Amino acid sequence: MNAAVDSTLKLLIVDDSTLIRRRVERSQRFDRLRLVGSAADGVEALALFSRTDPDVVTMDLTMPQMDGIECIRRMVALKPSVRILVISALADKATAIEAMASGANGFLNKPFTERQLNEALAELLR
Amino acid sequence: MSLAARFDRRPVVLIVIGALLAAALGTALVSGFRLATRLREDIAAVQAASALQAYPRELVREVSGLRERLEVRAYAGRALTTLRDSTRDFNERLQALAALDHDPARLASVQQRWRGYRAALAPVLEFRGEPYVDSDAASTRLSADGRGLYASLEHARLYALANAHGFDADLAAVTGDLQASASAAATRLRLLLQGGVLAALVLAAIAAWLLLSRARHERAAQEARERTRDILRTVREGFFLLDAEHRIGSVWSDALTQMFGREDFAGLGFRELLAGFVPETTIATALKYVDLLWGDRANENLMKTINPLSQLEVHSPDPLRREPRYLQFDFHRVTGAQGVKYVLCSVVDVTANVALARELQESQQGADAQLEMLIGMTRTDPLQLASFLDTADAGLKLVNAILRSPARSDADFRGKLAGLMRELHALKGEASALDLSGVADRLHALETRVSGCESRATLSGDDFLPIVAKLDELVAYLRGIREIAARLALTEHAAPASATDAIAPILEAAAARIALEHHKMLRVECNGFDAIPQSLAKALKDCLVQLVRNAAVHGIEDPELRRTRAKGDVGVVSARFARTADGYELTVEDDGAGIAPDEVKAVAVRRGLITEAQAAAMDTRAAIALIFRAGFSTAGEVSLGAGRGVGMDVVARTVRALGGRIGVATMPGKYTRFKIHVPTGGKDAAAAA
Repeated sequence: MNAAVDSTLKLLIVDDSTLIRRRVERSQRFDRLRLVGSAADGVEALALFSRTDPDVVTMDLTMPQMDGIECIRRMVALKPSVRILVISALADKATAIEAMASGANGFLNKPFTERQLNEALAELLR
Repeated sequence: MSLAARFDRRPVVLIVIGALLAAALGTALVSGFRLATRLREDIAAVQAASALQAYPRELVREVSGLRERLEVRAYAGRALTTLRDSTRDFNERLQALAALDHDPARLASVQQRWRGYRAALAPVLEFRGEPYVDSDAASTRLSADGRGLYASLEHARLYALANAHGFDADLAAVTGDLQASASAAATRLRLLLQGGVLAALVLAAIAAWLLLSRARHERAAQEARERTRDILRTVREGFFLLDAEHRIGSVWSDALTQMFGREDFAGLGFRELLAGFVPETTIATALKYVDLLWGDRANENLMKTINPLSQLEVHSPDPLRREPRYLQFDFHRVTGAQGVKYVLCSVVDVTANVALARELQESQQGADAQLEMLIGMTRTDPLQLASFLDTADAGLKLVNAILRSPARSDADFRGKLAGLMRELHALKGEASALDLSGVADRLHALETRVSGCESRATLSGDDFLPIVAKLDELVAYLRGIREIAARLALTEHAAPASATDAIAPILEAAAARIALEHHKMLRVECNGFDAIPQSLAKALKDCLVQLVRNAAVHGIEDPELRRTRAKGDVGVVSARFARTADGYELTVEDDGAGIAPDEVKAVAVRRGLITEAQAAAMDTRAAIALIFRAGFSTAGEVSLGAGRGVGMDVVARTVRALGGRIGVATMPGKYTRFKIHVPTGGKDAAAAA
């Protein structure tokens, strides 16, 4: 990595548990990411999104305040180049498809293994 | 690739060769045409030269003839004209020949000689005078002009005679030369024609070869098409291509016909294909999914994991085919230079696999259940297990009673379902609390069936049949547990006939569990149970379990409420057994909320057990007796407080079967007391159990 140029991607984590945050930070792929914020609900997430202008977002779908799908839609509307990884316990495929159709770039079911997270992040940062 | 390249190159080479040959053929034809023209000219020249050959002698003859006429003083004008004509003729022919001949050198000597002739003949031809002089004195004589003409003639004659042979030879040479030239041209023309014919033959051969090879390719393509068709006809998977508008392409495998019962796939929308087989929401999801395939956002693996049609339960529109089939759809992007060209969809009927997997899972579950049963039992306190089994027995009897109770209207059926739901849910809670997951799972499955019935628009008795079947299975399972428990001697001092010792701990355990569940505090006091005769133990235990449960759930209030009623936090349920003069008396009393007759009436009316009018006419005693009516306890959303109604009708029936009677005394806010009287030597207890 070039030290002179900051080539890391700004990451926003939207999840109401800190566990995901810790696991993402521990992931091998984190060297390319720089955490700029984490939010526990959709409204907070959108506010942080506008303020920090992240390149990558991990997103839980089951949050208070705002539907995660709606949140994805608004983020993509604000910044079409943003890459969003949905990390959610909502296992049903219709939700996953809805999220992808709304602009998400990847989908990871909770619970997940270290490897699954690495692969999902690698695919997201491709 | 190399094969295709070879197929591509060969005709190109042939076409180049063909073009060269055609050019050669064209050149030959043009040259041939020129040669033929030349030949025609040469032949004309030969004819002209041949004709000229007669003139030198003719001229000599005509000159001689004219001289002789002058000698005999005959008329010479005509002969002179003839000579002039011949000379002009020759001159013209010679010029024509010179025009025809392309070799100017050839005629040079002839023209040279002719110029000599003409010079010699010129004075003769230009003669315009009168050759004769007529006089009477003498006969006709030559005039001075005539003498001059005569001398010119003589000169010309001598010149002609002297040159006749040379002139002849020259003309002959020219003729010979021209003939030779024509002959050479003819030979060249023949050669050209032969070459042309050859080139034409080669061209024809190439054309034939091209036609043949094209026919061969077409045959190969036709065969390939037929093989593709054979594959598509024979393969068991359904194959088709989807375009960006979700339309099916013109090629598909025949297996689709079997799967979807139609043949008009070409141009059919994916939505129309699925319509009627799966719910609209599934179709909408599937279409969204297919749209995602056209983008490049998600890779193939992710797309596979979120495939909504990976195991699609399909219900045939045909009402005779009740069993659902399972179809597995797989989608693959077919990409070209411009990205995704279309989506290849394969469909497999996996009904058999699903059934097999289910069977395996069930047998696995069976094995798991056995193990779980054993493990659960070893973990469970034997008394609690025995208590649960008794509770479950009673509960399932109640469930059975609900199922058997007559129902005609939709409201009846729904009432039954609500009762079933409550009972099953309560039992499930207890099974879960004891970690008997096998039982809990079965109860959950039953619950699912019941709630499935609830969501149905119309209900009939038939809808309850699957519930009955499942219930039988659960009863068998519980019997299994009981048997294993007995064999393991886990309940050896609880379950055996001398149940009397164990009754108290069972009641205490049940009460403790209910207290925990309902956030209450309560105590069970048992007295005189040693006196319970063996013959009554089982039946009375069932009654006691029900009554204590009833008291714990509905009688005892939660601590807060108790405090407002100036009672201690801990509720007391006391159960006493005693001999009387003519039999036995079992009393179960709690210091709880009591029974409110108006509430009981209201529930009974709502449940359809009595009418409003009957309720109004009913006194307190009759009202409270309603709680023993079958169907009452099943009603009760708000019967005697929140939660589950308990099968008092079951208790009443048990008591009646023993030949006894049951009474109830209550004071709202104070207490409820059930008193059961059983005569000695009453009916056989077994009949009641």
